[in-house]
Amino acid sequence: MSDLDTLPPAPNAAGTSLDGTAVFTINAEENAALCRSTGIEPASDGTAHPIYYYIATQVAMGKTVAGVCEACEFDVDDGPMMGSSGVQFDAPLMVGASYKVTGEILSLIRKRSRKLGVMDVLTYRLRLHLLDGTQVLETDNVWVLPRKEFAA
Amino acid sequence: MSYAVGDTLPPFTIESVSPEAMKQWAIFLADPNPIHLDVEVVKAKGLGDRVINQGPANVAYMMNMLMRAFPGGRIKAMDSRFLDNVYGGDRATVTGTVTAIDGQVISCAFALDIDGRGTVNSGTATIEI
Repeated sequence: MSDLDTLPPAPNAAGTSLDGTAVFTINAEENAALCRSTGIEPASDGTAHPIYYYIATQVAMGKTVAGVCEACEFDVDDGPMMGSSGVQFDAPLMVGASYKVTGEILSLIRKRSRKLGVMDVLTYRLRLHLLDGTQVLETDNVWVLPRKEFAA
Repeated sequence: MSYAVGDTLPPFTIESVSPEAMKQWAIFLADPNPIHLDVEVVKAKGLGDRVINQGPANVAYMMNMLMRAFPGGRIKAMDSRFLDNVYGGDRATVTGTVTAIDGQVISCAFALDIDGRGTVNSGTATIEI
């Protein structure tokens, strides 16, 4: 018997919709400020910094960061940690373009680590679309949710 | 410009990660998590004695290295792993190497290192040139 068998299972969050209703538009002034904050000048060809893959999907998904945590029965004040982030682009992100988000929680898996103790590993997928529905990217993010209440 | 497997990519360095930039990123991300804004909160949580950079900002540094290494290229896919925090005042350097070439698509591995602490982010990407 695994020691995880003595713990309650992770909440059943898989399948929770993260579809958004908000429209995210990449603002030229903000893109320029973002680029400069990371040590580069904005592109002159109308493309936005590709990190907007993360920003646009987070800001325009159907739940806030706290809301995603709540769906996992986790208090955002307990400190969710980014584990990994992956993205596949179908097209570059453009300054002035408007986008909407669809997505869902893929899994929430309880694990035990030497460093963090009991934790839930959250994986969710978001897709960014032009307003006509054309998909421009898909991103999978993994967060680690440390479950302090199960500390030995 | 030609590339070969094993090529080392030009490094990209942030001389000092800026707490002021973290305030901007809190707005970009619509996420006012105080560990990025208030050193007293970081101390109270036992996470250190400097504000912690937002993870996506670290990804942006790694993208910057790739974009500078392949002018006119386009990132097709990228995976990043978060191994440790980046703090305000850290000197951060992104390095990378070419791991495969398939026609106009180049695969790379990269890492974000902090002076004195080693690798805090790593990952892989494919670039269409």
